Amino acid sequence: MTSSEPEATVTGALAAERRAAFRSGQRAIIPYLFGAAAWGTVSGIAMVKGGLAVPWALMMSLLVYAGSAQLAALPLIVAGAPLWVIVATGLITNLRFVIYSAALRPHFAHLPWRQRARLGFFMTDFTFTRFMRATQEGELPEHKDAWFAGVCANNWITWQVSACTGIIAASYIPTDWGLEFTGTLALIALVGPSLNAKPALAGAAAAAIVALIAHPLPFKLGLFCGALAGIIAATLVDAFQQGPTPAEAEGA
Amino acid sequence: MNDPVAGIALAIVIVGLALSTFVTRTSFLLAGARFKLGHRVEVALRYAPVCTLAAIIVPDVLIHPPGHAIDWSLLNPRLIGALAAGLWLCWSRNILGCLAFGMAGYTLARLYL
Repeated sequence: MTSSEPEATVTGALAAERRAAFRSGQRAIIPYLFGAAAWGTVSGIAMVKGGLAVPWALMMSLLVYAGSAQLAALPLIVAGAPLWVIVATGLITNLRFVIYSAALRPHFAHLPWRQRARLGFFMTDFTFTRFMRATQEGELPEHKDAWFAGVCANNWITWQVSACTGIIAASYIPTDWGLEFTGTLALIALVGPSLNAKPALAGAAAAAIVALIAHPLPFKLGLFCGALAGIIAATLVDAFQQGPTPAEAEGA
Repeated sequence: MNDPVAGIALAIVIVGLALSTFVTRTSFLLAGARFKLGHRVEVALRYAPVCTLAAIIVPDVLIHPPGHAIDWSLLNPRLIGALAAGLWLCWSRNILGCLAFGMAGYTLARLYL
């Protein structure tokens, strides 16, 4: 790349900044990747042990990229349930992503739709939570889309490699080690530092209680109900603490 | 699964599931870009990660395997592992330590309790 023209230099500097943001995002997710790897491996094993042939399990992992929806749909697929039932199960299990998508929207609204579609597809529980924590702790660089892309890239590669490993080596990996609990622990590590204020604590408590009560509901609807209840509780406590409406408080 | 018709049906199911992921994950990022959510909604969404993760983690720890009764007892290895991880996080932000400590608590409780 020649940088004799000023415009080329500016473009080159921009590309360098975006690359740096991407790499910084890649680094930010590394510690949590152990959790993603454990969860990916366990999902892969579960797909094959659940009765899906290896090539189909690989295709599903690569295209669907949503562990909980894949595992929820698996028994229906094996039982030969109608297509719409399986897709509806996937949609309902994935409902929490609609909330995530709404939360990400203000950060990426300025981007072209192709880029928004791409970032959305690679968003998961891990990458979304990591991004939102970064926004709250002020660690995001100017090119936050590149940072998020870095987070998503490492998470995707790790999840896919471990899912494929799980699928191919399903009969050799013992499932009774409790490996999948590493995924839960990584989520605890991800959420723990955010439990530092009353609204977050109230929201987490409400979410946990409702999710426990609603757990018998099908399609992981208990999770969605818990998340909604928690968000409402957190917002109420937040509004109560703030006194005036948040809009006024921010305007002041 | 060697039956080509079954193969095509399965491929369609997988593509349908992939669409269910894509549609939910990009819903507001694509369609919602046209209208602006109110400030209150944006404040509320800041609590989405904490609340969703609490709704994932707590049943995962207390109800295992899924569908069983809630196990509050301190003999529950997952509860011990989660408490160990939580204690670690109060003391340090080191994530690998948290995973190692939590897995150690969980595994020891599973093997010896």
